[in-house]
Amino acid sequence: MYRNWKSLKAIVLFTLIFSLVLAGCQSNNNNAASPESSGPASTAGSASSTNAAAEDKTLTISWPKDIGPLNPHQYTPNEFFAQGMYYEPLIDYGEGGKLVPKLAESWDISEDGKTYTFHLRQDVKFTDGSVFDANVVQKNFDTILANRDMHSWLGVIAQIDKTEVVDANTFKITLKNQYYPALQEFAVVRPLRFLGAAGFPDDGNTAETIKSPITTGQWVLSEYKKDEVAVFTRNDNYWGTKPKINKLVVKVIPDPEARVLALEKGDIDLIYGEGTISLDAFVNLRDSGKFETSVSDALASRALIVNTTKGPFADQNVRLALQHAVNKQALVDGVTNGVEKLADTIIASNFPYANVGLKAYDYNVETAKSLLDQAGWMLPDGKTFREKDGKQLQIELVYMGDDEVEKPMATAIQSDLKQIGIDLKLTGLERQLRNKRMEAADSDLLFWSTYGAPYDPHNFVSTNYEPGYGIYESQQGLSMAKELHQQMKDVLLTTDETERQKLYTSIFKTLHEQAVYLPISYLTSIAVYPKYVTGLKFPAHRDETPFDTLDIQK
Amino acid sequence: MKLYSYVWKRILTMVPVLLGASFVSFLLLRLTPVDPAKAYLSVSNIRPTEEAIQAIRSQLGLDVPFWTQYANWLWQLCRFDFGTSFFSKLSVGSEFMNRLPITAALALVSLLLAIAVSVPLGIVSALGKNRPIDHICRFLAFLGASLPQFWLAYMLIYFLSVKMDWFPLQGAESWRYYVLPSFTLAFSLIATYSRLLRAGLLEGLEEPFVLYARARGLGTYAILTKHVLRHAVRPVVTAAGMNLGKLFTGTVIVEQIFGMPGMGGFFLESVFHRDYPVIQSYIFVMAFVFVLGNLAADLIQAWIDPRLTRFEEKGGK
Repeated sequence: MYRNWKSLKAIVLFTLIFSLVLAGCQSNNNNAASPESSGPASTAGSASSTNAAAEDKTLTISWPKDIGPLNPHQYTPNEFFAQGMYYEPLIDYGEGGKLVPKLAESWDISEDGKTYTFHLRQDVKFTDGSVFDANVVQKNFDTILANRDMHSWLGVIAQIDKTEVVDANTFKITLKNQYYPALQEFAVVRPLRFLGAAGFPDDGNTAETIKSPITTGQWVLSEYKKDEVAVFTRNDNYWGTKPKINKLVVKVIPDPEARVLALEKGDIDLIYGEGTISLDAFVNLRDSGKFETSVSDALASRALIVNTTKGPFADQNVRLALQHAVNKQALVDGVTNGVEKLADTIIASNFPYANVGLKAYDYNVETAKSLLDQAGWMLPDGKTFREKDGKQLQIELVYMGDDEVEKPMATAIQSDLKQIGIDLKLTGLERQLRNKRMEAADSDLLFWSTYGAPYDPHNFVSTNYEPGYGIYESQQGLSMAKELHQQMKDVLLTTDETERQKLYTSIFKTLHEQAVYLPISYLTSIAVYPKYVTGLKFPAHRDETPFDTLDIQK
Repeated sequence: MKLYSYVWKRILTMVPVLLGASFVSFLLLRLTPVDPAKAYLSVSNIRPTEEAIQAIRSQLGLDVPFWTQYANWLWQLCRFDFGTSFFSKLSVGSEFMNRLPITAALALVSLLLAIAVSVPLGIVSALGKNRPIDHICRFLAFLGASLPQFWLAYMLIYFLSVKMDWFPLQGAESWRYYVLPSFTLAFSLIATYSRLLRAGLLEGLEEPFVLYARARGLGTYAILTKHVLRHAVRPVVTAAGMNLGKLFTGTVIVEQIFGMPGMGGFFLESVFHRDYPVIQSYIFVMAFVFVLGNLAADLIQAWIDPRLTRFEEKGGK
């Protein structure tokens, strides 16, 4: 009897614990459903004033990470895409790098190229009803410049000498030196976008936090549950063309395969971005015929940095042999299923100043072999790898170990180089360790990608001439390194358009002829969506989103 | 009273273990060759200028000597303050509080589910040793031990969520969201526990007291459930105690696939970001969970078999 009682007690206890746990899950549900979650959501009530009778067009997308606190002046954990779609710049970056007026209606540049006067749009209001004017622009610039060190990667920030409110709708920026990419850099997503005055913390410094995400943009954050979901409602008081959809739901789905399953299930209406799903999954979805798929133009370049300072690549002929030996078409087709596009030059010709008519290196194993012969690396009878002065031709390629494209590409390059007698050693490293190797220029070849639009080509050249990132260091083996880097510095300071193009042409020509990069492919964005989603148009700006043109027609 | 002093002794031994874990994790992190300031800039996709690195280093408190950093952290720990995340800029404590309940619920439900299924399964296979039912259970155990978690998870999602629409796909909003991930986690445990229990039961059936019980006229089922099970369940309890910590730390894949905002994904990301405060606090908390899991297992053992505490006492004198 006693024993039975004991076992009954155990069963009751077990059931009780189990129910408590389940109850715990249930209460979680209550939290999730509550709109009163912590974070920026609670601040954006005005957005939900959408006309209830209006047609409900909700687009649900997934994103690998939480959108972050929507602070326009800070970096991680703020997601680029969210800051980009939420806040607006003075100038927008359009097709082919054309600069388009946004919050600034027009601008004048002084003759000495140092003073920029922006004429602000007069019909713009923030989502809290406050007016967008030169004072609020000043307030934003004040906090950005107070954290100047943090933003020092952006050339224009380092160049700003002073800012000035001329009148309510005119804002003036004076630079220390001439700096031609200034206008282009006003289009970047962070930190040069504008927060409403009421969104600033009391001390006016947004380095740590903001009070609420008040914007002039097309969307307002109306619901937010950190790490789970963010809901954006259309800003019906928006000054420009309003989006066709009236609600955008962003679900956080960290796993790429789960994102694909969510699309198949109908939980989400769009997969968008770079690397958001595996390229195999993209092809499967495309071939299934159930979804529309599209691929953007070139957004940035994937390349190998060739270290000219040491080992076999100190010899130009060996670098040229590399250009001819790698079958890039096979890499693009085989590894990326044609999603990335073959790259013949380090900066794609659709970028400003980059269409300079360079002749592509063809894939030709025989040319590669003869170049190695000329360099003195000969293939001894019966051996697989070439030798010179008794030393085997061995080089190292560093890639990011967990990158689903770099790894198979590295393996394919290894087999390409084996064909011409080069022993390629592959080293897969975690991102941060790989960065460390890059900074130290401690590799023969290293996978790298450019920053893309709207940062290039000017950001590309500054990464080349500034020491510390490993690229400048890798180019020290060039006999003309000094002149090349001087040209790179000069091109950013020149205000004469013809002179600027001339310098860029010379820079791109030298980099190409000296084979200091092996351009492989151009990175693209992909989109997969059901047929009822229409109007998808990829923005030219790498970090912007296509939500303003999308429509739902069920 | 004996149990009481036993518990106290065990709790006291936790202190040096946790202190050691705190120091080792703190030291190892700082021995890694990557600077968190550079990691922050790299993740933010901005070029690491010297000015920016210095600005971030001082912002993150990395510009003070090692021992000062450690002392600051210990002092914070004494006040139950885990510091501020380098990346989210939120307090690590609040980040944990948002995520720990999800991981804890997932771990506990999986563990309970595993026990609830494996005990009857173990009994059935012991009773039907070498009969078809035992073979079926063995086959299931092999499956559980060999199927990769991520594969099982995708299969469950594909058939039960995408195709049948019985369960939601992503999130942690209600108990329905926990069914598939808990089952995924429990599946391999069921395999281990049911085999452990079967072995224990079969061994127990050979004991002399079983012979006497039979002589008293008890049936096999009664002997098994009332006498042998008590002994046979002990290895399972030990394994479950050890698994509790493992479940807390091993939910990464499942959380990622099922889009559950738990501790796993957060920790993984923090490792890639070199988010020191999160990593060292996570290791500390998980060390605590491991120690607590073992303590709970030992206490249950002691409850099942009070001789254990007596032995400990003798051994202690």
